[in-house]
Amino acid sequence: MIGFLARRVLSSIPLVWAAATLVFLLAEAAPGDPFDRLREPGVSVQTAARMHEAFGTDRPFLVRYADWLGGLLRGDLGTSWSYRQPAAGLIRQAACNTLVLAGPALVLQFALGLAAGVAAARSRSGFTDRGVSLAAAALYAVPSFCLALPLAWLLAVRLAWLPVSQMHSIGAVDMPVSWRLLDTLRHLALPCLALVLPAASGIALYVRDQMHATLGRGFVRAARARGLGSRQAELRHALRAALLPVTALFGLAIPGLLGGSVAIEVLFAWPGLGRLAYQAVLARDVPLILGCTCLASILVAAGGLAADLAAAALDPRTREARP
Amino acid sequence: MNPGGLRRAGPWAGLAVCLLALAGPWIAPHPPEEQEDVAGARLLPPWTRAQAIVAGPRTLVVTGLSRTPSGWEFDRAGRRQALAAADVTAGPFPRFYPLGTDGLGRDVSSRLLHGVRHSVGLAALCVALALLVGVGAGALAGLAGGWCDVVVSRAVEVLMSIPRLLLIMVCAAMFRPSIPVLVLVLGGTTWTGLAKVVRAETLSFRDSGPAQAARAAGSSAPRLVLRHLVPQILPVLAVFAALRFADTIVLESALSFLGLGAPPPAVSLGDILASGRETLQEAWWVAAAPGAVITGILLAVRSASRGLAGLDDPPSMT
Repeated sequence: MIGFLARRVLSSIPLVWAAATLVFLLAEAAPGDPFDRLREPGVSVQTAARMHEAFGTDRPFLVRYADWLGGLLRGDLGTSWSYRQPAAGLIRQAACNTLVLAGPALVLQFALGLAAGVAAARSRSGFTDRGVSLAAAALYAVPSFCLALPLAWLLAVRLAWLPVSQMHSIGAVDMPVSWRLLDTLRHLALPCLALVLPAASGIALYVRDQMHATLGRGFVRAARARGLGSRQAELRHALRAALLPVTALFGLAIPGLLGGSVAIEVLFAWPGLGRLAYQAVLARDVPLILGCTCLASILVAAGGLAADLAAAALDPRTREARP
Repeated sequence: MNPGGLRRAGPWAGLAVCLLALAGPWIAPHPPEEQEDVAGARLLPPWTRAQAIVAGPRTLVVTGLSRTPSGWEFDRAGRRQALAAADVTAGPFPRFYPLGTDGLGRDVSSRLLHGVRHSVGLAALCVALALLVGVGAGALAGLAGGWCDVVVSRAVEVLMSIPRLLLIMVCAAMFRPSIPVLVLVLGGTTWTGLAKVVRAETLSFRDSGPAQAARAAGSSAPRLVLRHLVPQILPVLAVFAALRFADTIVLESALSFLGLGAPPPAVSLGDILASGRETLQEAWWVAAAPGAVITGILLAVRSASRGLAGLDDPPSMT
């Protein structure tokens, strides 16, 4: 197990390196001067040259690349051009905020999706099945940033139950801890709902189909024949087999959440990784973009690893088949 | 309505969207960027019948127009106003806004028709590019093997290890967004999944009877792929095309929504959604229309793909 883990972690290092290098090359190939947007119209040529000197962009490409790689190994992502702060600190702060949003979203979407999917499959084309399938098919077709607008209109504009943007209210710093937690939860509700509902619908549809397929299989009937109740046969045996393909979804859900949360974080002004990457891209802040890319590809690799581990836990065959 | 019926309706709805995309500019009542009278036509609700009158250099979009002994009386920009008959140089002309107008006085239905054309056309081009690259790279990796296989497989892994929207955002912002850049970027990041599938299919096809027979009859590698492999995996390709088409519509709209889509003369569904977001407090209809259209397209394309596949695909998480 340890060997397998180590192998997987080692094999994902070149991927992270290659992904970051790809983005480095892209930034290099882009036309124009990266500091054009920071520069006021009246800035002299000397000042512009000094800007390049200060950020080290006047050095040859290979030197900068080697310097950046060396920094990466030490955990130093360089200085952000637009914030003039260490990029690593900015990214750490934003990643924590994204975790506050994406963590509950990940848990909720799988919990909701599994519950709805299993309920639909167990009712076997009954009323629950039809209702869940139809609602999930409809919701799954609404991208999260499209869903966010009617949700915001209803819950924030019309009913005024929830705040529309930011992570805390103004003056939240002075509140007692429990109030501050409640305040963050209230701010979390809208973006989380917009992220969770479409993803949970997709999972529900998939789980339902997988369950339908496994419910008719021989081992479930054998379990019933052995005298297990329908509930136990369905949940212990059929669900376990149906969950196996769902674990692959778990690996996909992490890049999905990171990608999907860009629009949601921008829309609800949530100070997370997606919004930071968006701002970095707009400002053409190469160190910050590179840092965000590295972290994102590490998270993607971690998601894949988590999915593999979950599959191994559910299915002994995948454990033995591993080289 | 049962899921089966929905599945059968999918292709027809998809066809309707394609027709709408083709005919859009001809049936749109106004040009998509037309701002006849920003103050007067601003945020008119859906199904508004209005009038346009020309007074000197200005065109006024008004509602509740009535004739008075001295000239005209009408509602414009929330106020009852009057204009002497002598000042009116032309009009009134009827104006009709079936889906209302946005915050800049533009007709939402016209923008929507142009937006569908833009988004559907762009997505179709991207999927075509992805099919081309995916089949090409997958077949190359499978048939040639060796270092070709290594290069393609590693490229797929690297591209899959960056969240797509992030990569697309970086490319779109670095190289001024334009339609060719968007097609290259969106299509260039879509082909990875297909290449993997085609590679696996090619590996099992390479040594099969039909492949050996074709090779014995003297067919070259490209012919082997195009005439023998592609027809065999056509169902896979069709499902891939449908699902990636849906993803691309979403990604392109998200990109435009974030302001990184094609620049202004082009209207994307995401642009309309973004303008609807700005006026969400006063006017729900500007955001509702493109949202409903995107949902409709996704519903149609995905149900059609389920019909095509006859089996169920894992949900896309992009």
